[in-house]
Amino acid sequence: MDWRSLILLALFAWAWEARAAAPDPVTSVMWDYYHQRLLNGEAFVFDDKVRLEVPPFAEDARQVPIQIDASAYRGKVKRILAWAELNPIPRILDFAPGEHLEPSLAIRIRVEQATPIRAAVLTDDGVWHIGSARVEAAGGGCTAPSVVRAEAGWEERLGQVLGKRFERGEDSRLRLQVSHPMDNGLVGGIPEFYIEQAELRDADGQVLGRIELFPAVSENPTLTLDLRGDQQTELWLRDNNGNEFQAAF
Amino acid sequence: MRWILFLLALGTGFAHALDYHLQPRQIADGVWLLEGSTDNFAAENGGNIVNIGFIETADGVVVIDTGPSRRYGEALRQSIEQTTGKPVLRVLLTHHHPDHVLGNQAFAGVPIAALPETTRLLAEQGDAMAENMYRLVGDWMRGTEVVLPTEEVQEGTLEIGGTRLQLLALRGHTGADLAILDERTGVLFAGDILFYQRALTTPNSPGLDVWLADLDRLEAMPWKQIVPGHGPVTTDAAPFVQMRDYLGWLDGLLRQGAEQGAEMNELIRAPIPERFAQVNLSRYELIRSVSHLYPRYERNAMGRVDRQD
Ligand SMILES: [Zn+2]
Repeated sequence: MDWRSLILLALFAWAWEARAAAPDPVTSVMWDYYHQRLLNGEAFVFDDKVRLEVPPFAEDARQVPIQIDASAYRGKVKRILAWAELNPIPRILDFAPGEHLEPSLAIRIRVEQATPIRAAVLTDDGVWHIGSARVEAAGGGCTAPSVVRAEAGWEERLGQVLGKRFERGEDSRLRLQVSHPMDNGLVGGIPEFYIEQAELRDADGQVLGRIELFPAVSENPTLTLDLRGDQQTELWLRDNNGNEFQAAF
Repeated sequence: MRWILFLLALGTGFAHALDYHLQPRQIADGVWLLEGSTDNFAAENGGNIVNIGFIETADGVVVIDTGPSRRYGEALRQSIEQTTGKPVLRVLLTHHHPDHVLGNQAFAGVPIAALPETTRLLAEQGDAMAENMYRLVGDWMRGTEVVLPTEEVQEGTLEIGGTRLQLLALRGHTGADLAILDERTGVLFAGDILFYQRALTTPNSPGLDVWLADLDRLEAMPWKQIVPGHGPVTTDAAPFVQMRDYLGWLDGLLRQGAEQGAEMNELIRAPIPERFAQVNLSRYELIRSVSHLYPRYERNAMGRVDRQD
């Protein structure tokens, strides 16, 4: 093969790869920014095998349910990041599922306006698989007055956890809701006050999964995790004021 | 200059197009209906998705709800006067939702009556609802402002101009829902306690169980003809049958979802039974209702698991 053929082949391969790379399914002008800022510009692919479910529109911009399912990469997922690209506080969570947790999760968030949402799933080969969705919204979810703080006695309920374990075949789904205002610092001069760390542990204190939370997460946060097996678990939470809360499932 | 003329022509053409073309239809002796579409609020319909009625008495006219905008209210008042040649004596509001009350401005000088809780809810939520209507239907809303009721009504009999109306105070749709039966003709204005062939809406509902109980009280009234808040008029009980079926399905979906650990995103994609194929906007309203109602079902299905020490 002479050098001209090699160049042609290289050009062909390059063109092929460029064509094969899927375009941004939500065509967001903010993608490059978040790719650099949150993923350090690392290798990525837009990937519909990372399922990111959101409602088509936000009926309540303060409580928008999002659901991430990366079970297509079960056993290979190191981290899952989620963010809302046009939010004043874009970051939602940073989830490191251990081997006993499915790489899936559901949570509710605040959106300030219609926005693309992303779930970036880092697999053990170093590639980020990007799930994308878009939610329409009239807006104002991040700057709406606190519902929790308007309720009498909310301080006494701080850190209370409602929860339940649901048997799903061999596995268990864990759902919980924590009483917490999750103040994001954008409302009424109230400084940031939010749960920033969550760990799910087994009965021996071994960590099954870690989640870092950000104040895009709604008030009284709800969280759903899928556990492989049926072992007893403990949930440990800490907010940015150092309050710790624990619950057992 | 030509440009300006062209733009003027466009402008007047558009202003001219914003006409609700209200055509009152007589549905019983002295009872008229203005039937809206079963669609969602949109610039194409100016928010005219609602059923508005009026009843002619010996002395004048009783109006039931005033429509989605000032423009609608003005057209309504004009068509009432053209149809009956009588003045409007009283406005009765079935509940505080914007499509039913934002025509109030056109009835300045006429007593506007509602349940006390309706007035409270309208004072609390009216401006935000009106703002949302501007966003959804645009120019049709120009000049529309919230006008609060000036009189209270309670459950019981109300006599106006020799016409006896039976009023029922219900709660299932908004917490304060007035149903009105014209005794003489048996026409029942059900307000939004009845939606027919159009999916029901739940943003202020105190609970589907409350709503289901309301249906029993309402159906027991001596009605001959039913005007639902949204959807076609009937002389049979079909709207009651459909409402019970639909509310029961929605309640069961949310209850079973909560018991089985379903996520909101799973429920909004749940299959809608084939028998509701005629019910307009059922998917859209399911998405909304899951947001309004599911948190209560979730909390009921969960228990305290935090370490309390
Ligand atoms: Zn209504």
